[in-house]
Amino acid sequence: MEEQMTENLIQSNNMVLDTNTCDYVIKTDGLCKTFSTGGVQQHVLNNLDLCIVKGDFTVIMGNSGSGKSTLLYALSGMDKPSLGVIDFDGEEITKYSNDKLAKFRRANCGFIFQEVFLNDNMSVMDNVLAAGYLSGLPRKQVYQTACNYFDKVGIPQEMYKKFPSQMSGGELQRVGLVRAIINDPKVVFADEPTGALNSANSIAVLDIMNDLHKEGKSIVMVTHDMRSAIRGNRVLYLKDGVILNEISLGDYDKEQEKQRLDKLKSFLEEMGW
Amino acid sequence: MWSIIKSHFHKGKVGYIITSLFVILSVLMMIVGVSICLGINEMYLNARNLSNSPDISLYVKESVGGPASQRVIDNLTQREDIETLDIQPYYKLEMPESDNGYVCNFIFSDNSVMAMKSIGFYNIDDSNNKFKPYVRNQIDGEGFKFYVSGNYLITGHIGDRVFFRYNGEEYLGYVAGVFDDMCKLYSAQYFYVDNDFFSLLTKYSQEDSQNYIMLQQAINIRLSCNDEVQSKNAQNEIATTFIDILNEYNKQNIGVENQVIVDGNSGIRQVFKDATSPFILILGAAMIAFAVIVAVIVAIVIAFLVRSSVMDEVRNLGVLKSLGYTTNMLRLSYLAIYGIIALACMLVGIVLGITLMPTFVNIITNMARLDMSRAVSLNVGGVFIAIALIIFVIGGVVMLATGKVKRVTPLSAMRNNVETHNFKRNLIPLSKSKVHLNVTLGAKSAVGEVNRSIMVIAVVLIMSLLTSFISVIYYNLKVDQTAIIQMSAIECPDYVIGLRYDDTKPYFDALRGMDSYEYDMLAYDASCYIDGQWQRGQYYENFEILRTKILYKGRYPKYSNEIILNEKYAKEKGYEIGDTITLNLHEYSLDTINKECVIVGYYQSVFENCNYMAYYDLVKEYIKVDTNNWQRFFYFKQGQTPSIEDIKAVLKTVNNESEINFGGFVTGRARLENMILNTVESTAEAVMTVFMSITAIIISLLLIMLIRLKILRERRNYAVYKALGYTTTNIMTQIAITMVILGVIGSVVGSIVGALLTSPILSLVGGMIGVGHFAFVIPWGFVVAILFGVPILIYLVSMLCAVPVRKITPAKSLRERG
Repeated sequence: MEEQMTENLIQSNNMVLDTNTCDYVIKTDGLCKTFSTGGVQQHVLNNLDLCIVKGDFTVIMGNSGSGKSTLLYALSGMDKPSLGVIDFDGEEITKYSNDKLAKFRRANCGFIFQEVFLNDNMSVMDNVLAAGYLSGLPRKQVYQTACNYFDKVGIPQEMYKKFPSQMSGGELQRVGLVRAIINDPKVVFADEPTGALNSANSIAVLDIMNDLHKEGKSIVMVTHDMRSAIRGNRVLYLKDGVILNEISLGDYDKEQEKQRLDKLKSFLEEMGW
Repeated sequence: MWSIIKSHFHKGKVGYIITSLFVILSVLMMIVGVSICLGINEMYLNARNLSNSPDISLYVKESVGGPASQRVIDNLTQREDIETLDIQPYYKLEMPESDNGYVCNFIFSDNSVMAMKSIGFYNIDDSNNKFKPYVRNQIDGEGFKFYVSGNYLITGHIGDRVFFRYNGEEYLGYVAGVFDDMCKLYSAQYFYVDNDFFSLLTKYSQEDSQNYIMLQQAINIRLSCNDEVQSKNAQNEIATTFIDILNEYNKQNIGVENQVIVDGNSGIRQVFKDATSPFILILGAAMIAFAVIVAVIVAIVIAFLVRSSVMDEVRNLGVLKSLGYTTNMLRLSYLAIYGIIALACMLVGIVLGITLMPTFVNIITNMARLDMSRAVSLNVGGVFIAIALIIFVIGGVVMLATGKVKRVTPLSAMRNNVETHNFKRNLIPLSKSKVHLNVTLGAKSAVGEVNRSIMVIAVVLIMSLLTSFISVIYYNLKVDQTAIIQMSAIECPDYVIGLRYDDTKPYFDALRGMDSYEYDMLAYDASCYIDGQWQRGQYYENFEILRTKILYKGRYPKYSNEIILNEKYAKEKGYEIGDTITLNLHEYSLDTINKECVIVGYYQSVFENCNYMAYYDLVKEYIKVDTNNWQRFFYFKQGQTPSIEDIKAVLKTVNNESEINFGGFVTGRARLENMILNTVESTAEAVMTVFMSITAIIISLLLIMLIRLKILRERRNYAVYKALGYTTTNIMTQIAITMVILGVIGSVVGSIVGALLTSPILSLVGGMIGVGHFAFVIPWGFVVAILFGVPILIYLVSMLCAVPVRKITPAKSLRERG
């Protein structure tokens, strides 16, 4: 019974957004990812077709082990799929070597991680510049951009020289956010960006992400958290390596937060969340 | 407790492997080094017994059964300390050299690189020889068999072709093997030949009217005393008595019809030890030094590993403390793990040391052309010293390095507020950096990890310091040998020329007429008795022109009754400057002549072959023999030294001769080479090769360990870097640059300090081998080469070791939470 429902939903999913006609920034075709552990194969992504629309704040949800992070890493070129094609703004990145992928990520992708992953031995400014200088732009310009972004996310100048161990979790995630956008990537990928934050800090980070979205930045976020998920305008539900269904929430409006939450809740309930 | 120890084992396996290797290496080298150094005390008797050598040989220039030699034998048989006495026929060849024709000569190898002028032969096939030598490395070949002493290997090889030429006949032979020899180093002594060739010599000696091939008697003696000092004294006494007997015999026969003066000389084997000990000691000391250095490096490595481990395990340590574990229990858990490693590795090291000791000694001493492996045996002291060193190093370091465990409290660990990095200042900010991003990040990594950085710097510094130290020594022993020439106290003129003519004056005058001629003088090696002991000395016509500045204290002699002494000898005998000593000039006259001389100075010499120097005038009037044929030292203007061909050409013009009849013709350098330089160079090369190899291995192993640990610890950071767009090569370069920066700091400080400290340190230890001061040149070219060489080595090894960075995939590494 459940299998039948999944099959139907896959078919309906394909109908929701035609990957051939959408104004995409990322498009996948028959994406598969298989892990092999101790001779046992685990198909994490299963013939997945997906289109990430330019300028969308796309949220990927799903149960643990559904393949959310794997999908995120595959879309961003951090991991290579076992099968299938990923078209990233016209470039077929699945054919790229590891080094070419690294160079591709410099210009096109920004990352926000749950644990931030700043280098403990570098100041927060250096952590950002270590990513920014890769762009090849004049260093002064990069520095100025970093300062502007720090200002925007509420990191004062006196904190630039601080080390990660001297900052709070919320501050660190904001630094991580600046690092993600310093090179003006085409897509910002966020993997549970509020997973380790308290409520206030989560809201602050998500507000910044919404601001970025408003400015036209494409964002792809993986989350478990419904309050985070409602910040997106499109929510995909992943199950067993396929997009089970998706829902459009429209652009985020703080005034309509409750309605968005209810809508998402009922969608997720429908998906078996 | 055991579970805690096991948990340590699961982390940092690479570090444990490297620690183990270093412990094994340290123990192994300590055992070898101590065995070599302490083995020297036993070496003389060991070598004598193993080589079946006599303690002393007396060569009497008289046919077998002659009256003079009979007197010597009669005297010897009255002694109670003679264990074995054996008389062997012995042919001595005195070969006049000429350019093309020859009466008789003996040439080693086809290109005549080692033509010899005065050598002796024993018959190897003589079954009556009680001192038949131990022969090694035997091979078969074409022609007569020729056996050489280890000295020959300084320049030659086993299997070399040998030519004996006599009155138009040429005989081919080959170097068929090496006999362990107890003769003095650097001196061409005697060889063994097969029976066929010995018979040939017998035949020619009977036809030879000019005594170019002369049958003599070799009286070989083995003493019964097993005490080296007693043996040395007895050997000297026998040599002295031997000359007394011959003098007495000759005095009685002067003027008697058909009686000729019987000459003789002796070969005391104790000088073997005197001549070889400095080299062996240097090699042994170098091994011990390496062992200690490796132990120090083990200490640094362990300190680093333990500190890192404590830092990483702060939370676990806090939990354990909350469970009731005391600080000492936790510290002991670290000690236990290194104790187990040390114990296991010490056992392996001891087994390897005992097993490989002879091989090691063989390899090292053979590189220095000295075959000592059979004379140096294992010394148990080395095992104990190695164990003590390792226990001291590991125990001490682990207890010191775990000091931080004291500061860990359960609460601080739970809150994780124990300091995890040691700096608060943002050194090398990227915003200020103008250099390449990889270089900046590499530099940041270098200053960011203080513990690791200090360790790398310390190790590279130690290795650079010693490399520099050894390089300075190497340069001065191998390249610029001014210092070693000064230390040897051997004068090194442009040419030493001897001629076999009735009147040599026109020939020498012809040389004096050359434009570049500066001066010449007669220099005479001779001996006399001082305080009843036979001492070798050197007489010069003019001290002012000596090029080798040997004077250490006082002044050179100005008058014929003044003398300078080898400082080591003077100290041993208690002679002071201003003292008067009596020289008993046996060698110059059949009468006993005593000359009183005032000591006016000391000179330094690492060799004991010349204990005094005086003016030739001191003995001139007593010399009865014709000095016309004696060789002279020739000096030419600086930079204008004529070639050997030029010298020959000038000499040929004197009497329009096609050939010159030389009675000894060597350049100054060649003379010195015969004496010492080849072995000194070989020793320097051996030490340098061993040391450089060990340095490269140690630096490489450390880098492997450090980089592997760095990659493990920073896996997450590198994954993030990759996610941000850094390529694998970027990250590898950053790692290599981090190491190179630390390496440069270490190598700059180490090389310069090492270079500057070499001479003062050598001066401190030089006194032990008779050298009061060193004037070593600092080869800044070498030092700069180290400055560049070490970082280049580090860069290459680091790039190689950083290859595992390729395996880091951001997706996989970032998925590993926590």
